[in-house]
Amino acid sequence: MSEKLTSKQMSRKITDAYLEEAFHAHELGKLIGYSTAISPVELFVAHDIIPVYPENHSVANLTAKKGAEMCAITENLGYTSHLCAYARSDLAYRHTGMTVTKGIPEPDLFLACNAQCFTLTKWFQVLARRGNIPLFVFDTPEYVMDKKTREEIVKYCVVQLKELIGFLEEVTKKKFDYDRLKEVMKYSAASSVLYKKFLDMAQYKPSPISIFDALIGMAIAVYRRGTQECVEYYQTLCDEIQAKVDQGIGVIQNEKYRLYWENLPVWFKFSDHAKLLGSYGGVILTSLYVHAWSFEFDLNKDPLVTLAENYVSRFSNSTIEDRASMALKLFEKYSMNGMIMFMNRSCKAVSFAVPTLKDILTKKTGIPALVFESDMGDQRFYAESQVRTRIEAYFETLDRLQA
Amino acid sequence: MWESLNLKKIVEYAKDPYPSIRKWAKDTGKKVVGSTIADVPEEVIYAFGFLPVAILGTNKPLKKAPSLLPDNACSLARSNLELALSYEGDLFGGFVLPQVCDTTQHLSDIWRINFPDKYVESYLAPRQVDRPSARYWVKEEIERLIASLGKWSGKAVSDEDLNKSIAIHNENKELLKELYEIKKKFPGTITNKEFFAMLKLSEQVDKAEFNKSLMAIKDNLKLKEEKGYTDIILVGITCDPPEIYETFDELKLNIVGDTLVTGTRYLQGDVTLGNGSPIDALTERHFKKGFYSPIHDNVYKNFEEIKKLYKETNAKAIIYVHIEFCESQEFDLPDLKKMIKKEGIPLHVLDTEYQTTSLSHVRTRLQAFFESLKGGSL
Repeated sequence: MSEKLTSKQMSRKITDAYLEEAFHAHELGKLIGYSTAISPVELFVAHDIIPVYPENHSVANLTAKKGAEMCAITENLGYTSHLCAYARSDLAYRHTGMTVTKGIPEPDLFLACNAQCFTLTKWFQVLARRGNIPLFVFDTPEYVMDKKTREEIVKYCVVQLKELIGFLEEVTKKKFDYDRLKEVMKYSAASSVLYKKFLDMAQYKPSPISIFDALIGMAIAVYRRGTQECVEYYQTLCDEIQAKVDQGIGVIQNEKYRLYWENLPVWFKFSDHAKLLGSYGGVILTSLYVHAWSFEFDLNKDPLVTLAENYVSRFSNSTIEDRASMALKLFEKYSMNGMIMFMNRSCKAVSFAVPTLKDILTKKTGIPALVFESDMGDQRFYAESQVRTRIEAYFETLDRLQA
Repeated sequence: MWESLNLKKIVEYAKDPYPSIRKWAKDTGKKVVGSTIADVPEEVIYAFGFLPVAILGTNKPLKKAPSLLPDNACSLARSNLELALSYEGDLFGGFVLPQVCDTTQHLSDIWRINFPDKYVESYLAPRQVDRPSARYWVKEEIERLIASLGKWSGKAVSDEDLNKSIAIHNENKELLKELYEIKKKFPGTITNKEFFAMLKLSEQVDKAEFNKSLMAIKDNLKLKEEKGYTDIILVGITCDPPEIYETFDELKLNIVGDTLVTGTRYLQGDVTLGNGSPIDALTERHFKKGFYSPIHDNVYKNFEEIKKLYKETNAKAIIYVHIEFCESQEFDLPDLKKMIKKEGIPLHVLDTEYQTTSLSHVRTRLQAFFESLKGGSL
């Protein structure tokens, strides 16, 4: 009898199989669709299009500290240093082939959903021009707070999802199978519930996971949602973390500060930050970013309606007021007593809300915030000593407040 | 207030239109509704009896905006926010803010939160334009805007109100187009600075009044034949500060075509009233003009538009105006540059930032560019 795989082993196995399939897509009669990380990729899965996420590939290169070198290459091509480091490192990869991985297969089509950001659309437009490849923009107007307007927005999005299906049928010359979509939606709904359960385990004291576990754990939700293996992976992951909870195992021994993180991580400082914060008894538990894939699909609804409702209402497409409410719920649920607000030069879509968000969150929680500006992938915008000094000063403030 | 202005006065008013708008609001008792560019159907706001004002930045110092939008945000967005927060906010009864990119999406949230006592409505422009759903959505948004303004004002607008407003706006664009043609042929008669001041002020004041000024100017122009001008095409979104036009004038550069939102893209926005409703006509308008929001621009289409303008006008060069830090422009520009250069069209990129006070670097670079052209193909 074969031994049950751990979540880590499953993640490796799923990822290897996924990449293997992606690299041989054409031999298997499938197409490669580049997609934004937040987009109704369920339609791809139901139509046998393999979703590939250039962002994920960029993360691998940026985490391996290749950001500055790759971004500089792109800047020499005429792009400014103000653009997203994912895009800049990707354009360098296209130009030179530089990567710490095996790279990613070339696209046959693009899907850009601006619930995440419009940057991806512009980046995909650049890539689409290289090969005259078709691009579909799924336009999600901001999910404003008025109920009636929201209903209209969802209607507009449903119309577009129908257009997207038409687009996919045209590109693949194959009829779309709605029954298959229903099946995919079942997997996507189930894995989303489990993914959220995994994230929510950070509410235990001590927390068995930190945001760094969440960032690693979210990968399968991003690129394999809509599949059975994705459901199985999150079931295993939840079981493993539950075992830690049962044994009272926390990320750090003496958990003192349970922190909220705003924005994407500084990928090349990923583990350094975890160690540094841990030395002060701090552990970052969560962020709205990792919750972006906690979908709540309603299988009783028309799949296109529940897809539209979910994708349009992501934190990155919500009003600042709604974003603050979402974060406040996490503060309450996870009993957080500190917050780090990262102004990420690369991600304008998330960062331009941060100053206002910080004002609302500090006012409503009474918890001071640590604000720092840097870049998620380009080391040239990261000042080590400054960040360390600020973190030290922040914990001194928290200590003083607790005393 | 604006019905008998000469060119000199127009330049003066365009530089700082707000004292006159403030006085107008006081005298008429009417409300002023501000919008940032682009896409908001100003005809709708006007039909309610409000004055639609395009907010186009301030040259005054930034004080509050930097703490709300970081320094790598579009400088026009920061400048607009500053204008409302520090300088002219009291003037506006409300705002209708379009969302055409990530920055404008945040901007309208920040604006709403900072003006809790004012009417603030978002205009959710579609960020795709090639599919039928975009047309559906524009109509929805126009209808939503009408309902929202109706709720705020307690008034309803009829088709007749809308048609009347559209006619005034169309007349304004017609007059501007005629004046532009004169300016192109006789650059000594109307300078770049004067023409773009007329256009800017048209986006900010009561057109029923201002059209009278434009009409009088047109009728009384004494055409002057002047030689020694170099014809150019201006490409971009906006061109600020206005002193850049003065620099063009001093260097005898004559703008004979442009793709600016505060230029031809605005003029393309006249509304064709057919048999359908005015809302249908306003919806169609969105799709007939070169798109306001450069983020929608297909770079190929943009290039073809520029090439056509260049050839038709027999211009000598393209001047591309880049606003720091417009992400859309920054993603498009490298490819657009390549296409333009491949076509053998001389191109010069001007990097501009709102709040810029010194233009000596712009002048020096422009001079160098045109001197090198004269040594070559001119």
